[in-house]
Amino acid sequence: MAGRGQIRTNNSALIAMIADEDTVTGFLMAGVGNVDLRRKTNYLIVDSKTTVKAIEDAFKEFTSREDIAVVLISQYIANMIRFLVDSYNKPVPAILEIPSKDHPYDPAHDSVLSRVRYLFSAESVASGRR
Amino acid sequence: MEDDDRCSSNNPGGIEQEEEDEDGTVLRFLDSLDSYLTLLDALSSTLRQGWFELASARHSMGSSCISSVLLDQKVRSAATTFQVGKSIDGSPSESHPSFAISKWASSRDGKCSFGEMEVSHVQKTSKNSELRHRGSSNFYDTTEEHDLRINASSTIGDGDVQKERSKSLSVFGTLVSPKLRAAQVSFETALDAIVEIANIRSSMLCAFTQLQQEMKEKGLG
Repeated sequence: MAGRGQIRTNNSALIAMIADEDTVTGFLMAGVGNVDLRRKTNYLIVDSKTTVKAIEDAFKEFTSREDIAVVLISQYIANMIRFLVDSYNKPVPAILEIPSKDHPYDPAHDSVLSRVRYLFSAESVASGRR
Repeated sequence: MEDDDRCSSNNPGGIEQEEEDEDGTVLRFLDSLDSYLTLLDALSSTLRQGWFELASARHSMGSSCISSVLLDQKVRSAATTFQVGKSIDGSPSESHPSFAISKWASSRDGKCSFGEMEVSHVQKTSKNSELRHRGSSNFYDTTEEHDLRINASSTIGDGDVQKERSKSLSVFGTLVSPKLRAAQVSFETALDAIVEIANIRSSMLCAFTQLQQEMKEKGLG
């Protein structure tokens, strides 16, 4: 959660993307694409042939890199690796779930909103009344 | 029980202050939550516009001219980057990350970019006291505003920024459709929303952590 662990400040951090082709292409046009000397990119284009393992590996890699500030992931892709996304709790890089062309954003599946939802649950209200 | 009553009667000001602080945390959390959902709604609208413009560009230029196959693997640095700093709400122990965007940074030296101006616009809008209605994407554009933004992007941005923009599109060919340029502007606008969402998310999680601690201290959590 916010405040736990060291917050690494960085003046020139990247934004990573795990999304469909159109979304990645659009953001690359906006200038966020980065290819380093080892030909490692800061994005993964997910299509019908992309395996869940490849998505998991990309997520783990992007969330462990120190030069990445934000990881954008289409929500339908996040649903494929939901356990991994929900168990991530570092402040940086921030994980943002975004809609895709064919899958609109659903607040019920957002990992951040799932975390805070229990504040509004009947149990937490009932425990306050005891 | 009587001791508690005596304590509370001896220090009513302290308890009131505590309750005010708790109310402040709750309000901050609820405000952040509302802003988070509103901004995500706005981001959805902006992305929809960007995808539509990209599809239009693909229609006019040909599918093979705009595809991921053309995204070459040449070594290059990102022209648009993020800055991560620390923001402190309340006590120093409750620091959380704050994010800012630096657009087309390789062509600038500390100048205020079009992107930064856009962030200011979003921040002003988010502080507007008018009721926000989700689903109407108040933060971002009508068609007219979007056209103004496209025109502004071609005039306000200095020559170097325009060069960087053109360079970014050059992978799709020397002459590109105006729709592709419009899509580029839409995705740049989406990046501004993403910065705001990242900051609101950070603030929300910080307030949530504080609320959890307060509930634990009271034996509610």
